[in-house]
Formats: sequence, structure tokens, C-alpha cells
Amino acid sequence: MTQPRLALAYWLVPCALVGALLSTVPQSARGADDPRVWLQRMNKALATRNYDGTFFHISGGRVETMRIVHRVRSGRVTERLQSLDGSGREFVRANDELTCYLPDQHTVLVEPRQDRGPFLGSLPQFDATVSDFYRIEALPDTHILGRPTRVIAVNPKDQFRFGYRLWLDEKTAMPLKTQLCDSRGQVIEQIFFARLDMPESIPDSDLAPTVHTDGMRWVRQGASADNASAALAAYRASQLPPGFRLTVQGAQTIGGATAPASHLVYSDGLATVSVFIEQSSSDSGAPSALDPQAQAPEAPMQGLARVGSGYAFSTVVQGHQVTAVGEVPAQTVEFIAHSVKISSGAEIPHH
Amino acid sequence: MSEQIREQVSAFLDGELPDTETELLLKRLTRDGELRESFGRYALIGEALRGAGSQILTRGFASRVNLAIDGEPAQAPAHAQLRREARWWRPIAGVTVAAGVAAVAIVALQQRSISPHLSGASLTAQNVAAPLKAAAPAPSQLPLQGGGGPREALSYTVVPAASTEAPSAIAPARLTNYVFAHSKYSSGLGQRGLLTDLLIDDDEVPPIPAQRAMPPPPAPDTRVAP
Repeated sequence: MTQPRLALAYWLVPCALVGALLSTVPQSARGADDPRVWLQRMNKALATRNYDGTFFHISGGRVETMRIVHRVRSGRVTERLQSLDGSGREFVRANDELTCYLPDQHTVLVEPRQDRGPFLGSLPQFDATVSDFYRIEALPDTHILGRPTRVIAVNPKDQFRFGYRLWLDEKTAMPLKTQLCDSRGQVIEQIFFARLDMPESIPDSDLAPTVHTDGMRWVRQGASADNASAALAAYRASQLPPGFRLTVQGAQTIGGATAPASHLVYSDGLATVSVFIEQSSSDSGAPSALDPQAQAPEAPMQGLARVGSGYAFSTVVQGHQVTAVGEVPAQTVEFIAHSVKISSGAEIPHH
Repeated sequence: MSEQIREQVSAFLDGELPDTETELLLKRLTRDGELRESFGRYALIGEALRGAGSQILTRGFASRVNLAIDGEPAQAPAHAQLRREARWWRPIAGVTVAAGVAAVAIVALQQRSISPHLSGASLTAQNVAAPLKAAAPAPSQLPLQGGGGPREALSYTVVPAASTEAPSAIAPARLTNYVFAHSKYSSGLGQRGLLTDLLIDDDEVPPIPAQRAMPPPPAPDTRVAP
């Protein structure tokens, strides 16, 4: 995994780096109206600007009102995402931690998060490979919130990935409206801003959670740093939908499991699928004699599940639990999970 | 929804509502849950009418959509062909747990079992499996790409054998943990989707059972039951 493209792909997520990557793109080589240039402007705006907006998240006719506050000060990103409807839930990302305030559950979750990407997200770098699998085009300009708006479509070329339609503010390149679409162009979910301010500075008070935490219980997720056993780490997807490549290989302790799972990340440069390979209860060996809790006690899982705008698919491969998860169509997670098998010459990308 | 509000919503969705009116509409929307619900339906049908697609994934909403929109003409659904879709976090293979991800996450962290509601499980599995089967290309047509090893024939089945067996679905608590672990690596907009979904209030969230103190050493008696 020494190819620059793949190393780059691994960092697609931490959007703080996107800004740095942008500087390496010879923008002069493209026209100012190139839709890819607009997407890069959007990336940069989302990662580097201060903004405070209210947006609607629409999925299946269900509307949620949310507020996003994003501040970059001295290179540090602080961000707050708040539900303005009902639940009163809030996420605050600061100091490499993601804190989830869930007043309706009387709980606060804290997770270490190294990534500094904005909550609203951004699209990763658009290189030639991405263009092989997505058709990026400019649609006719329009107005949103009375502002001139560029409309960019990122259309998947096959049914293994989702696409996006983005309405970008002409002046700031901020996405005023975003749609997630399937390969037939059908809208799966969308967000759009009803209000968006981009102030010079944002006071701390706007980034502080409004939730009163008195009496709430705090739950802290530990960082995962363990290595998966060699047996688990030897598994790879033997076949992948076109364009997907292994970008990260690591280990992750899933939930209350005592043995870390092998965690593989496959990406086509835009869509991402995680694959978890775990010891299955059916092949617990010597360790279980020493520590009955060393193996996952659950029965094997098989099947498909909806996860937000994506899917998860779990199956058993050679006695190991294999689960693929991603913001991709169902068939993509199924395809990848079913192809997992032991690979003697396993490629190991470096973090 | 009054005629005036409907026009405002329509103009807003088309991006043609003046800023001042948008502000007022937003205020109303954040205050008025009923209006918000109507707005959601309107947006959904609006997308269908604009030709965005003949099918729209819905989230436990399609059943109610049946053109209950006050005053909406009945042609909208004909275009929309609204399809009932598995609800967020409902393992399709059968264990129906309607819950917001955040709620499930807590349950997961606590390693408490969730009582599955098995009613309608097989129906769910069938409903979802059928379109999958139809949509997936035949294995021989799939453009394959080696994932590190040599190319080999696919042993790819679209509909998993176990998908009709309710007990072996992905345990929701485990699923949540996978998604959390994955979200660190998912690219921006996908991650945004995961996070905004976390924020969504779900009226079907089951009550959270007893808590478990951190740090989390897994206790044998609180393991998640499959």
C-alpha cells in the first residue's frame, strides 16, 4: 500500500487534511466551472470556514430540524450538531472526542475520535479513479434561499454505490442542499439549509451543549488499539465490486468483545465499506478453556440490515463472523461479505 | 396545511421563497410538529413529482403516506409508487427492533439484550429479499475485480440462506457497534448521514434497560442475546 493514491484514500475521511490535499491539485488545469473544482471548493469551505446553520434532514418523508455550528480556530475544529426537534440530542466534537448528549436516554456517550472531518461531511478528492465510477456533471444553476447556486451531480455509473446531488452557494461553495441518490437517481435522503450564517468568529457559548447533564450517566468508549489475531488478519475480500480497494487494515474491539476483530476498510474513493472479521463462537479453541469469555458467545449472525442510508450484511465464513457495513446499496455489502476468505499473501496497508 | 403555507412550502422546496418568508416558515416549522409532518410528506411527494424517481425509500412512513396530505391530488402516489422499506435499524432478516441508533448504541454499550419483536418478521424478510434478488445481476455478469488474490469464480448468493431465519439476524446492539466503528472511516457525506441519523428522535425507541457502569468489562450475565 505504498501507492500515493491509496495512502490518500485512507485519509479521505479526516477532512482536515482535505484542505492540504487541495493545494496539490493543479486547479489551473481545470476551468473554474469544472464541477470537480466546485466540489473541492465545497470540501474546503466545510472544513475551514466558520458556520452556524439550521437545516432540515428529510428521509422517507420524515423531517428533522437540526442546527450545526462549526468553528475553526488556531487550526482546531470544534463542532456541535443539535437536534432541534423532540429528542434534544446533541453531538459535540472537540479535543479529539465525540460527545453524544442523549437527554431522552439520560446518557452521555464519549468516544475518542481522531478524525476532524466536519459533521456535515464533505466529498473526498476526485481523482481519475473516482471518475471511472462516478459521472460528475454540472446541472443548470438555480437559486436557494434567494442565492445563486451551482448544482453538481455525482452519479454512480453502476448499482454498487450511491450518488449525490449538491446545491452549492455560488459565493461560498457551501452546500445549501444535498441529496443522496441511488444509481437510478432516486432520492434516498436529503438535507437542506433554512438558514446559514458564516460569521467571522463564533463564541464558545454557541459550541457548548445546551443539555443539562445533571443526573445523566456517562459512558466512555475505549480507544481500540489492539491487533487482531493472525488468523483473523489473514482474511480479505477476494472479490470486490469495480473500483473498490483495500485502504485500511486494522483491528477494532467491537462492543464488549474481549478479542479484537480484524477491521478492513474498502473504498472506491468516495463510498466506504468496513468489513469486520471476528472469531466465531463455533470455533473457540484453547483460549476458551482459560477464559470462557475470550470468545464471542453470540450465535452466528446472518442477514441484511438497514443502517441509515446504507446497509450491513453479516455472514459466516469458515467459522468466522464476517460483517460488511457501509453507506452503499445492499448488494455491495453482500457482495463483499460473501467474498471474504483467507488470503496467504494478504496485502497490508500502512496507516 | 393552509393554502398559503402550502404555497410557501412549495416555493421553499423550489428555492424560490424570499429570505424573509423563509425565516418565518422555518420558525413555524420548528414550532409546529404537525406542520413539519405535512412538510415532510410534501417534500417526499414533491420529489416524486419532480421526476426524481419512481421509487423512494421510506422509513416507516409509506404506510401513512397514502396521500393523506390534505388537499393533495391523488396522482402523486401513482408517480411515487411508494414502497414500504425496512425501518432504520430493523434487521431485515427478522429481528424487528425499531429503535434510534443512539438508543441502540447505549444498549450495546451496556451489553443488555433487547427483546426482539418477531411479529411480521418473515414478511419483512420476503418484502426486502425479493427486490434484492431481482436487482442483483447474475454472477456471471458481475464485473469482478480481484481483492488481492487471483480471480476466481464467485460464490455469491444474493439472498442469504439464513435471511428467513429470524433468530440469526444481526443483533442490533452488535450492529450499532459495527456502525460506530465504521463511521470513523466513512467518507464525509456518508458519515454525516450516520451522525444525523443518530440525532433523529424515534418515537418507537424502547425504554433503555438498566445501566452498566463503565469501564466496560463484559459481564457474562449481560451478554447480548442473539
